[in-house]
Amino acid sequence: MATEYDTGQTPETVDMMLNMGPQHPATHGVFRMVLAVDGERVVDLVPHIGYLHRGSEKLMENETYAQVITLFDRLDYVSNFNNELAFVRAVEKLMDLEPPERAMYIRVILCELNRVASHLLFAGTYALDIGAMTPVMYTFRERERIQNLFESVSGARMMHNYIRIGGIKEELPDDFVHRTRKLIDELRRGVEETDKLLTFNEVFLARTRGVGMIDAATAISCGLTGPGLRASGSTYDVRKDDPYEIYDRLDYDVPIGEYGDSWDRYWLRIQECYQSLRMIDQCLDQLEPGPIMPQMRRIARPPKGEAYAHCENPRGDIGVFVVSDGTNKPYRVKVRPPSFCNLVALRQMVQGSYIADAVVVLGSLDIVLGEVDR
Amino acid sequence: MEQQPPQPNDSAQEKTLGFPPTPEAGGKVPPRPARRPPHEEEAPTEVLNERGQATAAALGRVVGSRASSSGGRDDIPWVLVMPDHLFEVLSLMKEHPETKMDMLHLLFAVDYLDHLQLIYILASLSLNQKAMVKVDLPVAGDDAQATVDSAVALWEAAGWYERETHDLFGVRFEGNPDMSPLLLYEGFEGFPGRKSFPFNEYTEY
Amino acid sequence: MALNDPSNPQGQPLPLFVPSKWDREKQGHFVDSPEHGESSTGRGNRPAANMLPQGGLPGVITGKLEQFAALGRANSLWTLTFGLACCAIEMISAHMAHHDFDRFGIVTWPSPRQSDVMIVAGTVVKKMAAPIKLLYEQMPDPKWVIAMGSCATNGGPYYRSYSVVMGVDHIVPVDVYIPGCPPRPEALMDGIMKLQEKIKRDAKEGPSAQPIVASSEEPTPNEATETEEQETHGAAASST
Repeated sequence: MATEYDTGQTPETVDMMLNMGPQHPATHGVFRMVLAVDGERVVDLVPHIGYLHRGSEKLMENETYAQVITLFDRLDYVSNFNNELAFVRAVEKLMDLEPPERAMYIRVILCELNRVASHLLFAGTYALDIGAMTPVMYTFRERERIQNLFESVSGARMMHNYIRIGGIKEELPDDFVHRTRKLIDELRRGVEETDKLLTFNEVFLARTRGVGMIDAATAISCGLTGPGLRASGSTYDVRKDDPYEIYDRLDYDVPIGEYGDSWDRYWLRIQECYQSLRMIDQCLDQLEPGPIMPQMRRIARPPKGEAYAHCENPRGDIGVFVVSDGTNKPYRVKVRPPSFCNLVALRQMVQGSYIADAVVVLGSLDIVLGEVDR
Repeated sequence: MEQQPPQPNDSAQEKTLGFPPTPEAGGKVPPRPARRPPHEEEAPTEVLNERGQATAAALGRVVGSRASSSGGRDDIPWVLVMPDHLFEVLSLMKEHPETKMDMLHLLFAVDYLDHLQLIYILASLSLNQKAMVKVDLPVAGDDAQATVDSAVALWEAAGWYERETHDLFGVRFEGNPDMSPLLLYEGFEGFPGRKSFPFNEYTEY
Repeated sequence: MALNDPSNPQGQPLPLFVPSKWDREKQGHFVDSPEHGESSTGRGNRPAANMLPQGGLPGVITGKLEQFAALGRANSLWTLTFGLACCAIEMISAHMAHHDFDRFGIVTWPSPRQSDVMIVAGTVVKKMAAPIKLLYEQMPDPKWVIAMGSCATNGGPYYRSYSVVMGVDHIVPVDVYIPGCPPRPEALMDGIMKLQEKIKRDAKEGPSAQPIVASSEEPTPNEATETEEQETHGAAASST
């Protein structure tokens, strides 16, 4: 039946705007993506952030250096020790202060344990985004073990406020070394369990292999660092290229990926867990008794100047730039959040793939909104 | 509120805090690290180490006379350039084989009350070095805005950094295709990063 | 002895079956139970004294229909997955295997249209205030809100910030506040349990029950026995 619609032309279509709003089970926090989709294919992606912008940097200008450390805990709220370390290192550079050896070893042990905890959380929630509801239970069980240890060290499961300017807050508990050695074995088995469940699982491979590929040059131009960049073949790791603390005395490998897709980013993090456990073992062997804090004033008052220090967060390269004006409060603190820069690359990775792949890619980037928005 | 600074190696004044224990007191003493001289009396020194000096030399060759001043601490040298030369200097630093800064590590502003200073921290992953480019913008007060060329053409990471700096400090970047607010909500008045933005006049909701 | 029992030819009413441990003189107070008779849940698997009618039949509970509905609602709270910041990690930990939330009947549900409780876990930022209000309005009645953590209670460590809402109660009415930064998963569980009690109590006494303040002099009957636990755990919950 000929109607007015049979003009012989194809109908005009418009891309649909799909809003994956600030509240979404798969967006790892308050992150909003507006996708322009043509059928099921994503044509364009506009990320909107700022739903967790708490004004930390302005607050930091009005708090003493010790209080600023507590704010840093809450930036990347999954890897607290690494954030504290970045800030404390910047202030120590300003004050030309070198922490005692034991403090450095303890800091590295705690940072690496935190890295394992963070990657476990990533693995669990990534699998949850993809649809597997079991691995998250296992990884969180392993995380509970680590958090128990952290609780015995610093008193808190999450916001530790333990790494201080010059060293650390207080001495480790007596059974720490023994407990940590046992914990390393348990964690190795735990990470292996998640590894066996997910890494070469056919469904997981089908969902993540070849999804969200990015090459190294684009990634570097976007400012991507950390496992996201290393998956594309670059070897940039702050611990190797710009060693800080006692990383140059440890023997470890940095896993490098090949294709720059989501599976590589996931696999890298699992391998990093194993390497971290190796590092912790070596640190425990090399740990010697000694002081944990040099003799210094209680209220840090760095001389005028500015300093920049960067560390390897589980998400990438966290940098802290501190400008001091000689008083007990910093003049300006600027954080270079790795997740902020990782998000810039999201658009490149998702264009042309399916909507479901957008979720997969976002999960593989492992962003933490507290850091993105500060 | 401030404590008397301890004088551990001064035998004239044996002022001890009681902790950590000293060998004279019979306690186990861990070897004490060498005490640094008091910080307040020290003149601020920004000293480049070897790596930093090599980078500074390369930087000097690349940037040449466009730099008004330079300096640096540890391994990151900085140069101060005029706003007009900014884009030129940045593209030179990206392309020149001696610096090859392929990543824009960080871009932000510092509010020194009479002017704003933009700082670009650039990193070269191939040559494993970092450098800073600083620009002074004569902006003061609440509302005045300065304009600078955008670096989006060089590094994609600049896009979001510039949006954030615009939100918080009011620096306009020409050439950035999207300058909508990134961190603040639409309709936010004022530039919160600036020191002139009142800190104690917050609203609860 | 049944009514048709040949040894009971006249069909006398059966003698009351008295459990050996039930002391009739203490009208509903079990001999081995402490003075918790006023709580809405009794100890163990026995109905609490206040649910038994005075001098009535044993093993029979009477109550209003709302109370039974409240029992159902309290024991199957579906929470909206609304983790904003760091508290979300502890909330997720509370749902996971170690501190299990599923045993309370709590499942986390992404859609507001089918959830009962909104646990606001994390800092509420002014940009996010409008979505939170929208989400609250999308939830169907009856709904409750738990403010988890000090950021949702009053702004927390970001108290003087230019972009933070000092507490989510500026936007939505809150039933339970859980202090902590972040509160431990056990504290969140305590908050949920207090919400459950609130739901049951509101059904019994009416919706606008007297607000419970954690440090008040006269704790409500439910709080009477639990103030010590509160002080130990430090997870006070006060309701508006």
